[in-house]
Amino acid sequence: MAYRIKFTLTTGLTPILVLIGATSAWATQTHGEPEGLYVHQAAHVFFFFAMGLLIYWLRQRNLVKEKAWRYIQYSAILFILWNIDTFAVHTLDEMVHLIRTHKPDPWHLQIDTAEGLSFLGMLYYLGKLDHLLCVPALIYLYLGLKRLHHKVPSSAEKAAKP
Amino acid sequence: MIAHLVPIWTVDFFGSLLMILLSFLCLRLLFRLRQRDPGNVIWTFLLWFCLGLSGFAISRSAGHLLKDILQVRHQEEVWATIRPFSGAINTFMLVVVSAVTLFFERTWNIYQRILKDKQTLEKTHNELIYLNQNLEHLVADRTEALTISEHKYRRIFEISKDSIMVTRRDGTITDINPSGQSMLGLDLPDNLTGKRSLEEFLKPADWQHLIEEIERHGSIYNAEMDLVGKDDTTRRLLVSASMDRGRTDEEETIHYLVKDIEQRRLMEQQIAQADKLASLGQLSAGVAHEINNPMGIILGYTQLLLREEATDSEKYNDLKIIEKHVKNCKSIVEDLLSFARSSKTEETPYQIHVLIDEVLNFVQQHAELDHLEIIRDYDEKAPALLLDEKKIKQVFINLIMNAEHAVGNDGAITIRTRYDKPTQLITVKVSDNGHGISKKDLKRIFDPFFTTKPTGEGTGLGLSVSYGIIKNHGGEISVESEPGKGSTFTVVLPVKEDQETGLR
Repeated sequence: MAYRIKFTLTTGLTPILVLIGATSAWATQTHGEPEGLYVHQAAHVFFFFAMGLLIYWLRQRNLVKEKAWRYIQYSAILFILWNIDTFAVHTLDEMVHLIRTHKPDPWHLQIDTAEGLSFLGMLYYLGKLDHLLCVPALIYLYLGLKRLHHKVPSSAEKAAKP
Repeated sequence: MIAHLVPIWTVDFFGSLLMILLSFLCLRLLFRLRQRDPGNVIWTFLLWFCLGLSGFAISRSAGHLLKDILQVRHQEEVWATIRPFSGAINTFMLVVVSAVTLFFERTWNIYQRILKDKQTLEKTHNELIYLNQNLEHLVADRTEALTISEHKYRRIFEISKDSIMVTRRDGTITDINPSGQSMLGLDLPDNLTGKRSLEEFLKPADWQHLIEEIERHGSIYNAEMDLVGKDDTTRRLLVSASMDRGRTDEEETIHYLVKDIEQRRLMEQQIAQADKLASLGQLSAGVAHEINNPMGIILGYTQLLLREEATDSEKYNDLKIIEKHVKNCKSIVEDLLSFARSSKTEETPYQIHVLIDEVLNFVQQHAELDHLEIIRDYDEKAPALLLDEKKIKQVFINLIMNAEHAVGNDGAITIRTRYDKPTQLITVKVSDNGHGISKKDLKRIFDPFFTTKPTGEGTGLGLSVSYGIIKNHGGEISVESEPGKGSTFTVVLPVKEDQETGLR
């Protein structure tokens, strides 16, 4: 009987004591502003890596001997270059001790660079024209897919085959 | 540095528009590809890749366009609100595209596996269709081929002049071709299968040797053995055999190919006999020539001395004895010369039947043939022969006298002639039903001085001389005999063209 009372007290009181004694656990973490940039840059690195791997696989399987896959390979190369470009521009945007920008008027952009790093201004300006890389990348992707599309016979062509 | 913003805006604006346009065009192409080839996983992969890329392009380009528009309208605070969402979606889509790309290798491997399996399936499918459509035809073709093959090998088995047989390991005959049946003197194979053993037909030593060789080496090649016939006669065989090991001991069989070489052996014996007689002939001729001259001198001088002696004197009688014996010797020498074929033959056309009749008349005058039955079986088509009448008569006198001796007091002598036009040969057979000649004596029957008669009754030169005379005429003489049943002497003479008359 004594054992029974002891068991009831132990099992019943323990959760009550735990709940009464609980303080703030801070289980969730707040995410400050730089995290978005880091994630975005990590996504660029990931994309860079994925495109590199795609080129490796295409070449390893000799798929690039076919024009369609060769165009897709060119597309991946241009996406890699675009990645480098955007990664660099994003990085420069954050390095305010090296480069700062502001608009003196709506039509112009003032780029101030650290002493002796004036080339960074030109690099930043050209980097801002990243569509010159990603648009050709998509054009090559489209051309590659179009070639693949030509290779696959339509149902009418299939039906015409003996 | 101060840079103009127009190029950046222009590239940004039109680039964004083109990004959206191109990504949609890519999606459109992929949807079409999927429609054309729905089962292809590569198109599925590319579709997901392009969906991610389109999501990225739209989120990024739409953000850029919105930013440009809001900046132109001086609503930067609105853009500041939208910007984190645009950036987050943009980042998310970039991660999605990258993640999808990582599946390329796996997708490609699956695609290759599917292609391979598809090809195998198609090949199998086509083969099945072909078999299904042509099964009856294929079975008919195969059956026909098997029938032809079976017929071919059955014909080889049946028409082979050599004996082919199959036995079990213990010698029990399971299959035998007609030549084999004939050789062994067996009934039809249906009656014999599993009942007779090859062992019965071979000498125990030969059978033992045969089985040992097959057990040891699996085969035996060209082994000479004797086949023992029903009446204990033997025939020489050339046996080749090999073991066919079946799946079980019970299925083991021995396949035999047996050649009957009895004829060859007889021919070899005849050749050996002819060689022996030729050697003896050479020897006899040499000896006869050397003896003939001194004999002539002895006879000459003896006859000279006889002239000077009174016929009733003792010396005369002695000289007469010398003369008689010298004449005997000369006669033997002449016989030897005849055997050696050294004496010249004077051939004239003569009817063989006339010659035989004259011989029979002559023999009947000198010997008592009345108690014998003389059977004449002449081939009337036989033409005249070119022959030395005296010598051929001597041959037939010898043969008929020998026959008379063989038959004794009661018996028959048959003289049969046959003319074979294609070979231009006349065969004369002198047969008797006397006591015959033993196998041992048969081999030496034409040897000079070989005789079975008691001493003093024959010189043993009669058949040797006959042999020499017939050979000298380009013919053949041979003998067949069975002890107790009689003998047959066969003389074969060629029909020669008469050089003077041109007649045959």
